[in-house]
Amino acid sequence: MTDPEENESVRTALSPGDIGLVAPRDFTSTQPFTFKTGQVLPGFTLRYETYGELNATRDNAVLICHALSGDHHCAGVHALEDRKPGWWNNLIGPGKAVDTKRFFVVCANVLGGCVGSSGPMSIDPVTGQPYGISFPFVTILDMVRSQKLLLEHLGVASLHAVIGGSMGGMTALQFAIEYPAFTRRVLAMATTSRESAQAIAFNEVGRQAIMQDPDWNHGNYPKGGGPRVGLAIARMMAHITYVSDASMDRKFGRRKKTSANGEAYNFDVQFEVESYLRHQGQAFINRFDANSYLYITRALDQFDLAHAYGSLEAAFAPVQAESLIVGFTSDWLFPPEQNRQIALALLRAGKSASYAELATDLGHDSFLLESEDLYALVRAFLERHESTAVDFSI
Amino acid sequence: MSKLVEKRTVDMEVIGEWVNPGSRVLDLGCGRGALLQYLVQTKDAAGVGVDLDFGRITAAVARGLSAYQGDMTSFMRQFPDRHFDRIICSRTVQELDDPTGVILEALRVGRALTVGFVNHGFWKNRVDALLRGRKVRNDVYTTEWFESRPANPVTIADFEHFCAAKGITITRRAHLLGDWRTPCPMLPNLFAGYALYDLAR
Repeated sequence: MTDPEENESVRTALSPGDIGLVAPRDFTSTQPFTFKTGQVLPGFTLRYETYGELNATRDNAVLICHALSGDHHCAGVHALEDRKPGWWNNLIGPGKAVDTKRFFVVCANVLGGCVGSSGPMSIDPVTGQPYGISFPFVTILDMVRSQKLLLEHLGVASLHAVIGGSMGGMTALQFAIEYPAFTRRVLAMATTSRESAQAIAFNEVGRQAIMQDPDWNHGNYPKGGGPRVGLAIARMMAHITYVSDASMDRKFGRRKKTSANGEAYNFDVQFEVESYLRHQGQAFINRFDANSYLYITRALDQFDLAHAYGSLEAAFAPVQAESLIVGFTSDWLFPPEQNRQIALALLRAGKSASYAELATDLGHDSFLLESEDLYALVRAFLERHESTAVDFSI
Repeated sequence: MSKLVEKRTVDMEVIGEWVNPGSRVLDLGCGRGALLQYLVQTKDAAGVGVDLDFGRITAAVARGLSAYQGDMTSFMRQFPDRHFDRIICSRTVQELDDPTGVILEALRVGRALTVGFVNHGFWKNRVDALLRGRKVRNDVYTTEWFESRPANPVTIADFEHFCAAKGITITRRAHLLGDWRTPCPMLPNLFAGYALYDLAR
């Protein structure tokens, strides 16, 4: 997904309804963790944030799952002078669609990530060096299993909901499959049950840009070093897949940089869209690790529920959660049809499932959109049946 | 408006009588989900509704229902034969581009199909058209021509003819007078304001 500053949703950090200051914490499991591949880590760390309070019955938790380039910081600010709040700040906060006055919101950086959770940048205790590409291969299922351990550590008895967009939607679906009795609602947006050839193709171009950069050096590079050119190009390309023809045209059109010579036929930056993408690439290399990018895109490529369980209906057979799937008309990375197929398979499997489709022209990242319609839908889904579970506490 | 709400409930009650407890029900054109919620609550139905509008889907989701935003025929094509015990098409047939296609597909995926519609052959509509020479307007069809969307009004005679022509079995009928409450004793195409049919293949 694109950076929060690119969404048309950024406001000042402390608007009414915002959480305000939040701080990340680390959960470290000292038990050996076996990955889907069979590889084992002696333990792992997840960096996470929580907002709101866990209730007495410990069942009001909402797990937020981030996308490829996202992290645990999904709402609030880390410092009052922060330029931008967490990436889903428009959705999460006191009185917002995911209401932190009612829900205990948890969001963790995924296993394999690079923002505090164990990943290829972590130090291998055996060598004293970063794991690099000797880190175990990560799958969506591994992300889910590690986050379940975090929730147990936090004392969560069951999830009111698990919510995510894009890769976060895959994580949310996988969570409902893996822990059916633990998960009461699943809300997946702009996602797929099966990474398509087109999506794998884009991931592969990104990986090639990284791996063909000599500074990648087979994944062995010092902290702060590495394939900066390759990672920036991977990000520039991926960024295009998160938006749309219409939204780029509205934002940039054919406007030229003021510094660009009108008639100059050269290869310097001329169009604003070029300048913007270069900025995106540069900003990304300062916050993301190239090996993590390889690992997480591979996790996306491997995601295919129908293949993993025999059929999509078989995959969803154990699900007990009520589900809501949301597609966005202009999403061409995980198009509406792929979202519809999830809801249809859930219904064929006899599950409670809804599908809604929001008309937007912002492309894949529409799920981050500031939209009263989307907020109303999310709120309706999270707060329904509340009348049957009246809280008598004061 | 309260008159309309009252009429809505009558419709619900008749359909409710025809739905077996615990049925798997599909509501085509579910709107905000009022009928489906009624069937879930009173008949323990496992229901899903289909509608085209995001706001109506949101309302149905808020009611705790399974609701699917999209085209009803494309939706039904995704399900195996006789997947649903009952399909309901209440006050929707007059809005369909391809009523034959929808009804035949519903009879494939559903064991039974309930169709309810306002009878345009109702005598008041005939008098209205004859004397005023204007588009029918009444409690149900409240809008002027220029405020209305194209619709495909249907009469009881039209519908009976359709079922006969397509070899569709009518297993139950309910014809109600203009109050949508009292059973219509005779000449339903003239005297019934509302008609409900239960169909099977």
